Amino acid sequence: MLAYFLLGIIGIIAALCLGLLGWLVYDRYLKWLEANRRANELLRSVLTREQYRQLIKRGYLDIPSPRDPECIYRVPQAQGLVGVIERGRRKMSLCLQPLELVPDADMVVMHKLMIEADEETYLQTANKLTLI
Amino acid sequence: MGMLRVISKRGDDRVNWNEQDALAGDAEANAAIREAERIFAHERARGATAFRVEAGKPVERLEQFDPQAEQIILVPRVVGG
Repeated sequence: MLAYFLLGIIGIIAALCLGLLGWLVYDRYLKWLEANRRANELLRSVLTREQYRQLIKRGYLDIPSPRDPECIYRVPQAQGLVGVIERGRRKMSLCLQPLELVPDADMVVMHKLMIEADEETYLQTANKLTLI
Repeated sequence: MGMLRVISKRGDDRVNWNEQDALAGDAEANAAIREAERIFAHERARGATAFRVEAGKPVERLEQFDPQAEQIILVPRVVGG
């Protein structure tokens, strides 16, 4: 009799723990969805219609260098290396990341703003991986 | 209307203000500007970079909070990966 009672108690505690775990995972998922929704909204507001179309269709965004008309930065839609393309050829890759984890769409916004407003600091900060 | 957007893991946190109302002496509008200014200073101190982003104008780096800006975006501190 006592054994059944203890088993029942353990079962209830296990069910409560599982319920709590499920709720925590679901809550994190909802927050992740909301963060991505907001990030996409910001991305759409800073890109032109053509830029947004290119990003969705090709999976990257080309940002012309403000200092060199023959150079473009190829920013991936998902987090990854930024390509530096000169005269149609990939000259090197850049790695730059925020200290805080942010949604993919926000990464694209960050690269765009930094390249367009302060390219020199952007290049100084990024780690450069040159193709041999 | 001005808007401060702070990029974070939550997407972005926003603070809005109305400069016209603040100039007219509206206490709430003034409080919103002070709050935006406080967040701006706090994030800058943590290494964030600020950009003025306005439709039809080139993006511009901002060192000081500007209540006249249409939109300010704060990007968290970045490092070479």
